[in-house]
Amino acid sequence: MTEIILSVEDMEKTYVGGVHAVRGVSFEVKEGDSLAIIGSSGSGKSTVLRCINRLIEPTKGVVRLKGEKINTPAADINEVRSRIGMVFQSFELFSHLRVIDNVSLGLIHVRGMGREEARSEARKVLERVDMLDRVDAYPGNLSGGQKQRVAIARALAMKPEVMLFDEPTSALDPELIGSVLETIQGLAEEGMTMVVVTHEIGFARDVADRVIYMDQGLIAEDGPSSIIDEPKTERMREFLSSIND
Amino acid sequence: MVTEASTERFMGWPKRKDLIATLAIVALFVSISGASAQEVRSGWAMVDSGTESDLLTAEFHEGEFWAFGTGGIMISSIDGGGTWSESGISVNQDLTSSDSNFGSMAVSGNDGTILFMRDGVWTDVSTSLFGDITDIALTGNSSFVVIQQDEIWTCEISEDGSADWNSASSQGEIDYFSISFLDSDNGLVSGEKGAIMASTDGGASWEYRDAPSEVSATGIIDIEYHSSIRAYAISDEGHILKSSREGNVPVGFVWSIVEIEREYPPGGGSEFEVGGSTLDSDVSNIDVIGQFKLLLSGSSGYLAISLDGGNIVSQQMIPLSNETSFNGFAMQDGFRGIAIGENGSILRTENAGSEEFVGFEVIDFNDFGQFVDYSKERLMDGLVATAKIVIFGIIMGFSLGIILSMLKTSPTTLKNVAQTNRFQILLVFIVTPIWVLMQIPISVVKATGLAKRWNLDNPLNGVMGYCKERSLQIAASEPLNVIAIRVIGVALLAFGIHRIFSNLDDISALNLDGWEHIYSPIGAPSAVFWILFGVGMAVLGTIFLSCNGDFSIRELSLGRSNISLNPWGIRPLNTIATVYTDIFRNTPLLVQFMFIHFGFELGRRLQDPGMMLFDFDYLEGNSNFITDIFVVYETNPESLAYGRPIGGILEDRAYISAIFALGLNSGAYQCETIRGAIAAIPSGQMEAGRSIGLNYMQSMRLVVMPQAVRICIPPLGNEMVNLVLNSSLAMIIGYAEITRQGKLIVATTFQVFWTWGMVLISYFLITWTLALFLRYLEEKTRIPGLGISGGA
Repeated sequence: MTEIILSVEDMEKTYVGGVHAVRGVSFEVKEGDSLAIIGSSGSGKSTVLRCINRLIEPTKGVVRLKGEKINTPAADINEVRSRIGMVFQSFELFSHLRVIDNVSLGLIHVRGMGREEARSEARKVLERVDMLDRVDAYPGNLSGGQKQRVAIARALAMKPEVMLFDEPTSALDPELIGSVLETIQGLAEEGMTMVVVTHEIGFARDVADRVIYMDQGLIAEDGPSSIIDEPKTERMREFLSSIND
Repeated sequence: MVTEASTERFMGWPKRKDLIATLAIVALFVSISGASAQEVRSGWAMVDSGTESDLLTAEFHEGEFWAFGTGGIMISSIDGGGTWSESGISVNQDLTSSDSNFGSMAVSGNDGTILFMRDGVWTDVSTSLFGDITDIALTGNSSFVVIQQDEIWTCEISEDGSADWNSASSQGEIDYFSISFLDSDNGLVSGEKGAIMASTDGGASWEYRDAPSEVSATGIIDIEYHSSIRAYAISDEGHILKSSREGNVPVGFVWSIVEIEREYPPGGGSEFEVGGSTLDSDVSNIDVIGQFKLLLSGSSGYLAISLDGGNIVSQQMIPLSNETSFNGFAMQDGFRGIAIGENGSILRTENAGSEEFVGFEVIDFNDFGQFVDYSKERLMDGLVATAKIVIFGIIMGFSLGIILSMLKTSPTTLKNVAQTNRFQILLVFIVTPIWVLMQIPISVVKATGLAKRWNLDNPLNGVMGYCKERSLQIAASEPLNVIAIRVIGVALLAFGIHRIFSNLDDISALNLDGWEHIYSPIGAPSAVFWILFGVGMAVLGTIFLSCNGDFSIRELSLGRSNISLNPWGIRPLNTIATVYTDIFRNTPLLVQFMFIHFGFELGRRLQDPGMMLFDFDYLEGNSNFITDIFVVYETNPESLAYGRPIGGILEDRAYISAIFALGLNSGAYQCETIRGAIAAIPSGQMEAGRSIGLNYMQSMRLVVMPQAVRICIPPLGNEMVNLVLNSSLAMIIGYAEITRQGKLIVATTFQVFWTWGMVLISYFLITWTLALFLRYLEEKTRIPGLGISGGA
């Protein structure tokens, strides 16, 4: 029996101003599983993801990482975050640092590695995302797909127990999406546990072990990737058809 | 990849050539200010002699200057030494000595050459009796005495030009060097082994005189019988010998060595060398032009004057190479004359070679050149004064701006304050400050690379970790202590109300009516402060008192409108910074200057304790470059200002006040600029930093600030240029920066247009340089591939 890495229990989030973005969401992710969360804009997908590593504090509910409750004041939030990799829609690379320094920053300042050690570690990770030839470039000189692969490497370098992808391909040209998806797919095949918020239905179908469809802050459908081909609810069917157009 | 490599060190120290350029600019500024400090002009002017031969002797005769030298060169000037032409009669031998007296002139030289001039007619009376003649002196309009080696001869020229030679009776086997006659009877001759002899019968017989024993082994190379009461001589070791008439004993009997107290180098500086009994330089010739006024010449460009008989000797600046060897003088009177030397050098003076100090003459302020000469020194002083307050103002403003902007953007809310626990309080208020104090020296040691060998670590690391851990444990295990928070709330409320009411009396004692109360902060500052403080505490106490463990936003319904209150979202650090910036940004800087200096007397308040801290008795002998920043004392006991401050920040109250006024004001503006730049960094950057596990301060320091500082270079540059321009307001508190200097120049010269124009140019140069530097900095720190470069 595989271990449950991440579990979310009855998560709710009300933003300042009263927007009730998440209205009670629960799910579990097993080791090596990849979970895809799909849904229309404003359905609360990203909020769920950000609540998991507490970039947003959930109003209610429990988040556990390997059984340990992480959304309490007792948890060392910085330590917890370093165990959860996060990849953003808009890359958020540190534009004043070279690729290699982007990746090694966390290793040096969080993991306490020496500069040389961190750099060689960073090179290994960059090789995995096929970015070894641009280690000395600045993020501003990279294409979108390259940026996102560096961002993945930055999260990967911390050796996270789970990776969170927040719409990793939404900001990319269709031509560039492929390389990023390949990278993520490669990670999934290597057995990385991951939660992917995505609009790439095809990708969710091919890569995800499990798909959650969210609508208005609630989980509307939850099941294996096959539910994409056979949606049970009317709402999901509409969503899928609007995307396929 | 090539371009990548070329931008490799974009954050590092500028490349070497930039460094050189910077140093060159600094050197330029230093050299400019150095040149303006003192202007000394040589008292000697170079004259074109028209010859390259070495000139060995010169005379002033009947309104004409004559100079003689090697190869029989003979030149004269009829216009006081301005222009020269060859004249006289033609000989080929070197002409080495000369004398002019009794309306005649005699010149002697090698191979027995003697030329004699009377009434403008030259006669060659050379004789084969002698070899090279050493010196010649006239004893009448047709008689003279010559010396050569150990012989002294007198000669009488008859009307037909024939010479009648007689050997004088001399007493020794010594070589003679110099001869000088006062009149037709009295003469002196000097020679080797300290010999001085005198004649009272026109050179026919000679007697030894007593020379000081110190010179008995040296040669006395030049002697001059100046008057009936004074004669001087010099030895080849640099002694100056003097003889005076004492009572009935005539000049020449008693000789003494002049004690040389000081020898000044060229340029009239204040530094001198203690001379002792000999001159430091190689002197070969002395010319006496007054009872106490001596001119000295020698090799290596040595020309010197003494106005007190040799006690103080000042070497003079010469407009020639320092290698030139000078052989003598010819003086028309006590001031006008020439000096001659090798390679046909002739220098002319109209003030006995005294150096001129420019600026003592009456200046014509209607002449722009003279006006600039006069005012540039003041403007330079002003420039330095401005730079001093600007530099400290920028440092202070920038530090303040960074701190305030960090306070303004700090996310700490009242909720965080209420959720704290005893270990966190311990951590924030006690452990962390001590940790920081210990970390500073440790960081310094680590930077030197020694730390690895010693395995140096902050000893408080353990305590810090323990406190953090305990505080986390408590946060987890203990529920929020609502009761404690409420107790604190009650205490704060009670304290605040007490403060308010106990200070209201002071306000009412001011006897203000109605709107006049807006001025009460000035009438009773401490009372108003305590009341405001009390109000703040009371509000805080009320909020704490209302705590029930729920920190969410409260909705209040007032009639139809809904008001949402978020008391726990109040950010106390932000509030403090906002109050500060609001005060400084909503009042004029000019008034701030006057309030801080005249009203609050900040300068005096800081100067007095500062002077106590760095007092003179303590600093004497203990000053170093750090204390020099604060205060420099006059340590020369002879100075009138002995023991008083002559430099450093604490010297001038207006200086202290000006720094603070500029710094405090600029800090408020820079705070807003930096805050704006921080706000311009996408929030995702902070999220990304946090998501890899960096804490807030790390994300700020490593991710946000490096980008924000680059963004705010252009606006901060504006702010710094503004600070330079605003520094002109410091004139109102009596600080002598450029604008005030301009006002003083106008008061002296009445040249309004020129003065203010020059002040404008000075400001422009400073700010423009600053702007160029900032542009360069911006270019250097540009992030490749990113649009937030600002300028490019």
